[in-house]
Amino acid sequence: MDLIISLFSGAIVYAVSVMYAGIGETFTERAGIMNLGVEGIMLMGAVSGYIAAVHTQNLFLSFLVVLLTGALLGLVFAFLTVTLQSDQTVCGMAMLVFGTGLSGFIGKGVAGVAANLKFGTIKLPLLSQIPVLGEIFFQQNLLVYAMYFIVPISTFYIYKTRYGLKLRALGENPAVLDAAGENVFAMRYGYVIFGCMMISISGACVSLANTNFWSSGMTAGKGWIAFALVAFSSWNPVILTAGALLFGFISCLGSNLQIYLPQVPTEIYSMLPYIATVVAFILSTGNFRKKHTAEPAALAKPYDRESR
Amino acid sequence: MKKKLLSLLLVVAMTGALVAGCGSSGSGSTDDKDDSSSAAGETKAVEDLIIGEIQYSVVEDGGWGQAMHEGMLQACENLGIDTSTNLLTMEEISEEDTALVESTVEELVDNGADIIFGCSAGYSTILAEMQEEYPDVVFAQQSNDVYENIIEFQIRGYEGEFLAGYMCALMNEGSNELGFCASMDEASVRTALNSFALGAKYANPDATVQVLWADSWYDLDIESQNAKTLIDNGIKYMGMEASSPAVPQTCEENGAYCVGYNIDMKDSAPGAVMTSFMWNWVPIFEDIMTKTADGTIDISADYYEGGDCAKLADFNEDLVPEDIQAKVNELKEKISSGEVVVYSGELKDDQGNVLVEEGETMSDEDILAQDFFVDNVIGGKK
Repeated sequence: MDLIISLFSGAIVYAVSVMYAGIGETFTERAGIMNLGVEGIMLMGAVSGYIAAVHTQNLFLSFLVVLLTGALLGLVFAFLTVTLQSDQTVCGMAMLVFGTGLSGFIGKGVAGVAANLKFGTIKLPLLSQIPVLGEIFFQQNLLVYAMYFIVPISTFYIYKTRYGLKLRALGENPAVLDAAGENVFAMRYGYVIFGCMMISISGACVSLANTNFWSSGMTAGKGWIAFALVAFSSWNPVILTAGALLFGFISCLGSNLQIYLPQVPTEIYSMLPYIATVVAFILSTGNFRKKHTAEPAALAKPYDRESR
Repeated sequence: MKKKLLSLLLVVAMTGALVAGCGSSGSGSTDDKDDSSSAAGETKAVEDLIIGEIQYSVVEDGGWGQAMHEGMLQACENLGIDTSTNLLTMEEISEEDTALVESTVEELVDNGADIIFGCSAGYSTILAEMQEEYPDVVFAQQSNDVYENIIEFQIRGYEGEFLAGYMCALMNEGSNELGFCASMDEASVRTALNSFALGAKYANPDATVQVLWADSWYDLDIESQNAKTLIDNGIKYMGMEASSPAVPQTCEENGAYCVGYNIDMKDSAPGAVMTSFMWNWVPIFEDIMTKTADGTIDISADYYEGGDCAKLADFNEDLVPEDIQAKVNELKEKISSGEVVVYSGELKDDQGNVLVEEGETMSDEDILAQDFFVDNVIGGKK
């Protein structure tokens, strides 16, 4: 039973740290903008939050700084891709390299400095007393609890509200929205900025929750996993959750199996998440599934009124 | 067109900011420096030496690079060398990028460097080649002894890890099981693991060390998950070979204890880090610098230092009782005096083969190139 608790609670911690970025990117891509710079923005979120934590010793302020950093980077990215209509792949790569380099540079002062300020584990009264389930779900940090609400709310928003309908149209056929009198540019700005703020929170999960330090490049590929999860999930937050949990579960399983099945080379366990990805991709996009792919039709295509 | 231009401009600006971020740090203007470097045999005041330092990562990497850089700073301070003008640190110089390493060396030489330190093992071949081009410059490289024309230096890290394992086994009263979080399966990592296990065995003949592999040099999730898994399986004391404080912080959160690695990790997890294994390069650096200055340097010299070079950080007084501190210090003296030899017989690997016969000791080459796991390691790779 301890093994099960260890596996599942570990999986949740891992999943949440990529889900903020994943859900942010889902909104961005649903709006027709592809942001490849997830990893760089995550690092910027991680470093800005940590710098603020070291200097202010105030978790709330640090979190605000994380949001602000995300918003600023989102503004830059939206300006490049929406207003200037530049190539989104190139701009995304620029954000990636820019974020990675700048975070390393501004983080020099706090590398190796202990902040001792983080989103600690909060045991929810009563709920955490439930055997097994309580230990898995209700002995987590604040960012995890917030995610319990963000998934249903964002799913409801995308599929059940008027705004969600407009968001989906934005990624499928922005010209239609424009004809209907909606401001395509303002909406895209909004979703790109929102997406970057969420991605930035993912960075905070790494530097201010799961671990509590800053080191250059510390996200170590998580941004790419989040990016891949978005396509993997067919741009659906619920499937994204399942995918993130699966990833987290498999990576936790690997370290437990080293003890219980020592005959198997550990490299096999390191491969598991990627094998799972390939299998899931085959299942979700394979030829035998007649349904259309869920990819937004206008994804990565700049909207230009005059080229209609 | 205008928009395209503007976007191009923005990209240029971003790249500019990035380049500014990657530049060399700590290098003041050196144009006004005396360009004549001190060749072997010539003398120069030690505080006038210009030191070049080549690092593969940033110097605040919280691990290997930081330990090297701190050693460099300390050595310079001890000798009165002004680090803001005379220490040229080149960061993020990839070992695989031969052209980059060469141009870095040229840049350092152009800036008057008297000594160039290669701070990661991968530079040896290139530095040995560059030495022939710049015979006036002293090249010092962290690696095993291979080349005759560059100084190679190495630390007997196993002595410190042996002490760490010994201490963990003493702390682990009432249980024989210790843990170890390892990164990649490689000789230096195996050395750390095996020495830790031997130290544990020295304290308690029944002690075993369960190792979990991250199979990555740097993966915070797997590192902390491995620590968590060890703790969930009843292990309370562990060693580590990893560059991040992920393991110590996981221990702290779950009521377990560990020995940090590379640098003193106490500040990152004051409730869990009992001490840390530290690389102390200061004595080696100081010796190379002093000898370069007075012209007595021998460029074929090699350093392989133990004792104070492979030390443990100050004990965490809140976690380690005084009697255990005393025992660890006592063992340290015994290693320094040669009374206790870490890799001595009879030593068996985890397959039951005898590695060292009773009464014999292992050679330095075999210690450096370990391809075995000692018999009380559980989970060693096949």
